[in-house]
Amino acid sequence: MRKALIPILTALTALTALAVAVGTAGGSTTAAQSPTTSDRTLITCGRTRTIGVAAPITGAAASIGSQQGRWARYWVTRYNRSHRRTKFRTVVGDTQLPDTAQAIQVAERLASNSQVLGVVGPAGSQEVQVSTAPFKNGGLGFVSGSATRTSLTTDGRARGYFFRVVPNDDQQGPRVANYIRGTLRHSRVAIVDAQNSYSTGLSDTVQRILRSRGVNVQRESVNEADTTDFSSLAARIPANTQSVYIPWQLAPKAQLFGQALRSQGKRAVLFGSDGLFDPDSFKIPGSFVSFFPINLQSPIIAAYRRGPGRGKSELFGLPSYQAADVVGRAIDKACANGTATRAEVRRNINQTNITQSQSIVGFRIRFVQRPRGVLGRGDMESPANFGIYRINNRGVYVRVS
Amino acid sequence: MIVAFNAELFIQLLVNGITLGSLYGLIALGYSMVYGILKLLNFAHGDVYMIGAFVGYGVLSLLGGPLSPNIALAPLIVLMFLAAMLVSGLLGVVIERFAYRPLRDAPRIAPLISALGVSFFLQNSALLVFGSQFRSYDSFVLGSKNPEFFEPGPLTDPVFVVNNVNVQLIQVIVLATTAGLMVALTLLVAKTHLGKAMRATSYDREAAAMMGIDTDRVIASTFFIGSLLAGAAGVMFGLLFSQVFHFMGFLAGLKGFTAAVVGGIGSIPGAMLGGLLVGLAESFAAGYLGGRWSDLTVFGILILVLLIRPSGLLGTRAIQKV
Amino acid sequence: MQTGGDIPEVPGRPDERDRPRVGVDEWVASVEGRREDRVGFARLGRRIDALLPPWARLLIFGVFAATLPFWMDRGDLFAYGIFTLIYILLGLGLNVVVGYAGLLDLGYVALFGFGAYFYALLSSEQYGIHWPSAVSIPVVVVSTALLGLVLGIPSRRLLGDYLAIVTLFFGQAFVVFVNAANPTVRGKGLTGGPNGIADIDPNDLLGYELTTRRQQYWFILGIVLLVLIGLHFLSESRTGRAWRALREDPLAAEAMSMPVNRLKLKAFAFGAGIAGLAGCIFAAVLTAVTSGNFALPILITIYAVVILGGIGSLTGVVIGAIVINVSFQFLAPENPQDNARILFYAVVVLLLVLAVRPWWMLGVVLGGVVVFGFAAHAIAEAIDPSWTAGAVVEGGRLAGVISDWVIIPAGNDRFANVAYITLVVAVLALTRIRGWWRTILLVPTLYLTAIVWETSFVEQPAVARWILFGALLVTLMTVRPQGLLGTPRVEIV
Repeated sequence: MRKALIPILTALTALTALAVAVGTAGGSTTAAQSPTTSDRTLITCGRTRTIGVAAPITGAAASIGSQQGRWARYWVTRYNRSHRRTKFRTVVGDTQLPDTAQAIQVAERLASNSQVLGVVGPAGSQEVQVSTAPFKNGGLGFVSGSATRTSLTTDGRARGYFFRVVPNDDQQGPRVANYIRGTLRHSRVAIVDAQNSYSTGLSDTVQRILRSRGVNVQRESVNEADTTDFSSLAARIPANTQSVYIPWQLAPKAQLFGQALRSQGKRAVLFGSDGLFDPDSFKIPGSFVSFFPINLQSPIIAAYRRGPGRGKSELFGLPSYQAADVVGRAIDKACANGTATRAEVRRNINQTNITQSQSIVGFRIRFVQRPRGVLGRGDMESPANFGIYRINNRGVYVRVS
Repeated sequence: MIVAFNAELFIQLLVNGITLGSLYGLIALGYSMVYGILKLLNFAHGDVYMIGAFVGYGVLSLLGGPLSPNIALAPLIVLMFLAAMLVSGLLGVVIERFAYRPLRDAPRIAPLISALGVSFFLQNSALLVFGSQFRSYDSFVLGSKNPEFFEPGPLTDPVFVVNNVNVQLIQVIVLATTAGLMVALTLLVAKTHLGKAMRATSYDREAAAMMGIDTDRVIASTFFIGSLLAGAAGVMFGLLFSQVFHFMGFLAGLKGFTAAVVGGIGSIPGAMLGGLLVGLAESFAAGYLGGRWSDLTVFGILILVLLIRPSGLLGTRAIQKV
Repeated sequence: MQTGGDIPEVPGRPDERDRPRVGVDEWVASVEGRREDRVGFARLGRRIDALLPPWARLLIFGVFAATLPFWMDRGDLFAYGIFTLIYILLGLGLNVVVGYAGLLDLGYVALFGFGAYFYALLSSEQYGIHWPSAVSIPVVVVSTALLGLVLGIPSRRLLGDYLAIVTLFFGQAFVVFVNAANPTVRGKGLTGGPNGIADIDPNDLLGYELTTRRQQYWFILGIVLLVLIGLHFLSESRTGRAWRALREDPLAAEAMSMPVNRLKLKAFAFGAGIAGLAGCIFAAVLTAVTSGNFALPILITIYAVVILGGIGSLTGVVIGAIVINVSFQFLAPENPQDNARILFYAVVVLLLVLAVRPWWMLGVVLGGVVVFGFAAHAIAEAIDPSWTAGAVVEGGRLAGVISDWVIIPAGNDRFANVAYITLVVAVLALTRIRGWWRTILLVPTLYLTAIVWETSFVEQPAVARWILFGALLVTLMTVRPQGLLGTPRVEIV
């Protein structure tokens, strides 16, 4: 019997030792803090400040979420390289879109991590919706680089907490619709939504405007993530359709759809949303994409390509870099006197003023103070809006509007 | 919105459905063979297929990448197939050896969970190693003289035209390869010693073992062959639809598995028939019903088939031994 | 102290498990099971199981769980506490279907989703209905149970795996239905499509709304305890015994004139009811439901909970849920990386302690790894300094030691991939070889483990945790297929 006891005892001892080790290790970050972190908790900034990043790193949306994570962390890398005295670090939460249960867990844990002063993300509009309560509860401001549903700002639920550095659906939608109707003068349009929150929102807006202006709109729907064979969808598009609006997020899938259309001899022009701005993957000649008026030759993008992007620009994640910039500046400002509260950071985010030349997305960033029309508090003041790009015969994106 | 009947659409959907169906059929064969012999739902099969697709991509990029391959197109494709089939086959054997063989006598649910574990492991290993981006075979321009101008390559050349619908070279290649593999497999099972041993083992493993059949080897061979077919399907997928990524095995696995069940699990012609049915159902549902209801229709048909004929279309009714 | 005299110790061949065991019957299996239960953790588990009566176990769990909010912050309470409780509830429901009645139901997560969506419809602005929990929860539970009953009807016709397939389709169809189909009812999408249903009311206790996480936690804990007590009595009842008979051998049960079909349907309905209850709670604490909450990974996690603890054991489900959720949360990337690193190395050492005999050998191996590491690092640095020029990711206190010990090249993508694949091969090889070679191979493998951790896993913790989770499932199944507290069974041929 004694013999049999030894391994059990050692195992127990080892487990206890483990628990103690982990406890002390965790203690350095958790024990020192007050039990609940909130708005007014005074946080000593120290040399290294912490930004939370909420992005879907794994799961079905991993291919877009990991870009956002990399771009946000890339801002931190660049900042740390150019600043001697102060540094940033990130705490990354994996929201595993479309499972919003993970998003809310991430929000709760970032909110109660007293080191975190501001958050970049989350990605999806439905994630923003469920995360708002926990973030508000912890007094954390959060800046999303991709949640575009208009009501997130206009319903006022997250006022003063939620900000976004992307124009909303009701800014992007009319811009696209005007271009299709006004500039291209198309009158037979198909719209294919991708059965997710982002895509149905944009599709509905564009469809409403086009119909009201007398355009014949055919509405289709496809699950872009799960579909690999787009030829059946392509077969549904009548040959005389002039343009197909596809507000999707997976550029490789849009490429497949375009190829399926072309190989069936259909010449309709593809019109993509910001989710498809990916010169590496979506390159059907003659297509249009709406995206920020960025400088594609920017040295930051080139450096990202060489560095964390492993040869890809991953421009869908670019606004997350901008979001990290907004949050980082706000924290720096709040920390000027050595301590900061989350309320202070939020106030600074709200007062962000980044000039066009300093911003990577190509327009001045100032948040709306007085809501009007489709712009709520948390949206950007004009002229922040999308530009329209055309893909030429060599697959190069050229800005046309 | 129901589109009015036109022959062009119908034939287009038919061609798509048959191509897709033969892909599902190949995946279904692996499920079916393994189930026939071990009564095990090999959930990791879809991920073996994913690895096959990545191996094909690896060969392609080692030989210069899709835009400027170093060797001619035909040997390139043959090489991709061979490498993917070999690696997938070996992977299948390794999975069987380490994740299933220790569980031969465990309750039925244990290997199922083990299979799920393998599936998670493979999927996320691929994510770790290859990253989350889609990798493209660029089959649209593969072998083209001017890939940078998006001039379509020979794979998309129409071989023949039916009623205004192009049947592309790649679709013909896929169909021919599938048919070839099917014939080879049928011959293997019907004519060779190994095939005989496989049938015996699947009929009654213990009795087969007592008759001096090395059942472990037979099972390992079954896994090798099934996984090899999945690897071939992976490369076909890459050539047909270009984009390969770490999550692709899950849905394809589910569809292949569905095909196996509908055709009658354990039956080789059943797997092929099931594959075609699922492919056609998917294609026609997507073409005629549109995206919102098509998946539901496919699932509904399958549930109905199973309720009416629980053993599938070509399956034999399982007799429970007491 | 008494030694295990009644069961002869058979010197087991190392690869005994791998041989086809022709002619193994129940008796042999039960003897093997008993022998196995006398060693290691399983023995400890059995001991506790045998020593503590059920009420004592419940008391220990209840008291421990009730104190959680006093020493956890809000985020941890939510992620560790509330979600563990939800997993316990889901596991308990699945345990009735799979553990008691032996029916392989892969559509279980759809019932959970149905419960959540139904609760959401009854308590949100979607249709302006705000029923109090005292009404809505019973309504949802009963209707989910009815749905389970309907879903269970094919089980009368379908054997084993076919049932699994039909239910799996049902689960997938549910997700597609709520996400894409979203039929229009009273001028509104019924399920909200991809946006789901938002702003769901919290649960209320007789009119008092539970808004803080603490209140919600205690409320859920109360429900879980009630369900545990109820299930304990159920499993000891006539029905419970009949279910177990059905699970062990449906044919024999039928021959004994048990109403097999009715028992199956009952199990389906019971499991579904508990899933519906879990759905109500889930929707209320989340305040929003979307189709993504009920996808396959969740189902797999619930299965893992039930199987890890041991199918058919209530204590097992509770332990399984705690182990799975806590380890999963602990590996979450938002934790300080240093914690995960310490945990990882500690677990590796712990496994070594358990696996390596005799004692001095352990010292040799550990010492060998340390020496091997410094030697390899020195050699690599001598050949080309860039091979060791990479930086440790968030090293904390250990950073200095690690960067002198582990080879981390600058720009290490390809190196990390090769190291990872080599590690997988080496670990697989380790399980096959014995004796001295094993010890010799063990040293570089351990060092390789450290390299892989520092070069790939630390960079992508979110991916790493799924890999480790998958490996854990496979290992657990091959080592102890019946779970921690389950009883071993064999398929009777």
